[in-house]
Amino acid sequence: MISSIVLITGLLLILIGLWGLLTHRNILRIIIGFSLMGTGTHIVTVAIGYVRNGTAPIIDRALDLSEATARAVDPIASALVVTAIVIGMAVTAVMLAFAIRLYDSKKTLSIDAFTESKW
Amino acid sequence: MIWRLFVVVAIVSFALVFASLAIGYTEQQSLRPLAESYVRLVPHALGAPNVITGILLNYRGFDTLGEVAVLFMVAASVGLVLGAGRSPRGVSTEDRSDEPRPSSEIVRSGTEILVPLVSIFAAYIIMNGHLSAGGGFQGGAVIASSVLLMLLAYPQYQPNLEFLSITESAAGVLFVLAGIAGLVLAGGFLDNRILPLGQFGAFFSAGAIPLLSVLLGIKVGCELSVILEKFRP
Amino acid sequence: MMELIGSILVLLGAIFHFSAGLGMLRMPDAYTRMQAGTKASTLGNTLVLAGLAIHHPGWSLKLLIIVYFVLMTNPVSSHALARAAHGIRIPMAGDTGIDALRDARQKNGGGP
Repeated sequence: MISSIVLITGLLLILIGLWGLLTHRNILRIIIGFSLMGTGTHIVTVAIGYVRNGTAPIIDRALDLSEATARAVDPIASALVVTAIVIGMAVTAVMLAFAIRLYDSKKTLSIDAFTESKW
Repeated sequence: MIWRLFVVVAIVSFALVFASLAIGYTEQQSLRPLAESYVRLVPHALGAPNVITGILLNYRGFDTLGEVAVLFMVAASVGLVLGAGRSPRGVSTEDRSDEPRPSSEIVRSGTEILVPLVSIFAAYIIMNGHLSAGGGFQGGAVIASSVLLMLLAYPQYQPNLEFLSITESAAGVLFVLAGIAGLVLAGGFLDNRILPLGQFGAFFSAGAIPLLSVLLGIKVGCELSVILEKFRP
Repeated sequence: MMELIGSILVLLGAIFHFSAGLGMLRMPDAYTRMQAGTKASTLGNTLVLAGLAIHHPGWSLKLLIIVYFVLMTNPVSSHALARAAHGIRIPMAGDTGIDALRDARQKNGGGP
């Protein structure tokens, strides 16, 4: 039940990011759309790893060593998402650097001004 | 008109695929065999209470090495794209002065209180990677945010880019050397049994995992600071 | 009984967060949008954490530190954003009456 809500939220975020990516004309809003799609994908990946009545896979007061395999949530999904978040941020940094250079060349942030590659 | 129609068709088809995914989803009752073996092996064989850090720095150590390489490549490409001579941007000439405009007093006072707190919190996150939630990447990002706070509050602040680049490269080289030491002295690449495992749950335990977390944190923090510094006008 | 009070506080915090989002959509220009986003969401944060402290009394000290940190950082960051927006001359809404920062800057001869 809980993970269904989180899964649907993640899928909705991906759809909203895709719509914003395709509709807007301002470069910075397109970059925000990419970032939203990335966040939605991370949420979906974490939601898939949920085990019913599970808790975080960290051995402390909440989770004893003997019952770890019975009650822990999938750790592989969380580990992959840690890597994915860092790489998503790095890709956003490169996109923003390109946006700055595009603005330097044409003095406008609308992608309608860049028509050299269009047929 | 055609473009809008295409956008609507794309969104509707993606929504149909996602709806079929969401309807056919049932929660797992128990862990899959690979995840169960990780949850059983990491506290027992590696001595680390945090299963996720044990996976990231030992069993999937190559992914972490690849991510370190990707971050380095991103720092190099941002330096390439933004480093060459840039013409002054579209702000009118009366706003451009030789001195950067000093920031307001509120931001400076807030920074004086916040930067020590944020730096101590970043060190705490890095060092607690093997005991509780945290680790190298998370702490490195918080270090970079404290550097960003300094950049915002003091416009004349020039972080020493040479020192940051040398520190970042040295941390990366030491990380790979620790991995090779694991290959030579213990089971495989990035094996953490080269240092003694210690007592479960103590501060200095889990072998080489705290050392690897510290090296990762330093590298990621310096890299993100260099990227942030390049974005200044 | 105490749990009911805690849950009502969390619900109030969620309503304030929602009104922050609604304000950011409906406000006319950048400065009023920043104001709506910061004030309402800071109060929403404080209320949610207060409701959580009533549910788990053992966590009160840590939640108090978090509330202190939120109160330190949210206003400072939105202040820096608004000054930067004024510095690059983002236009204000049509029926703005007073621009105190521009008057203060002109009086100081172009200072900060």
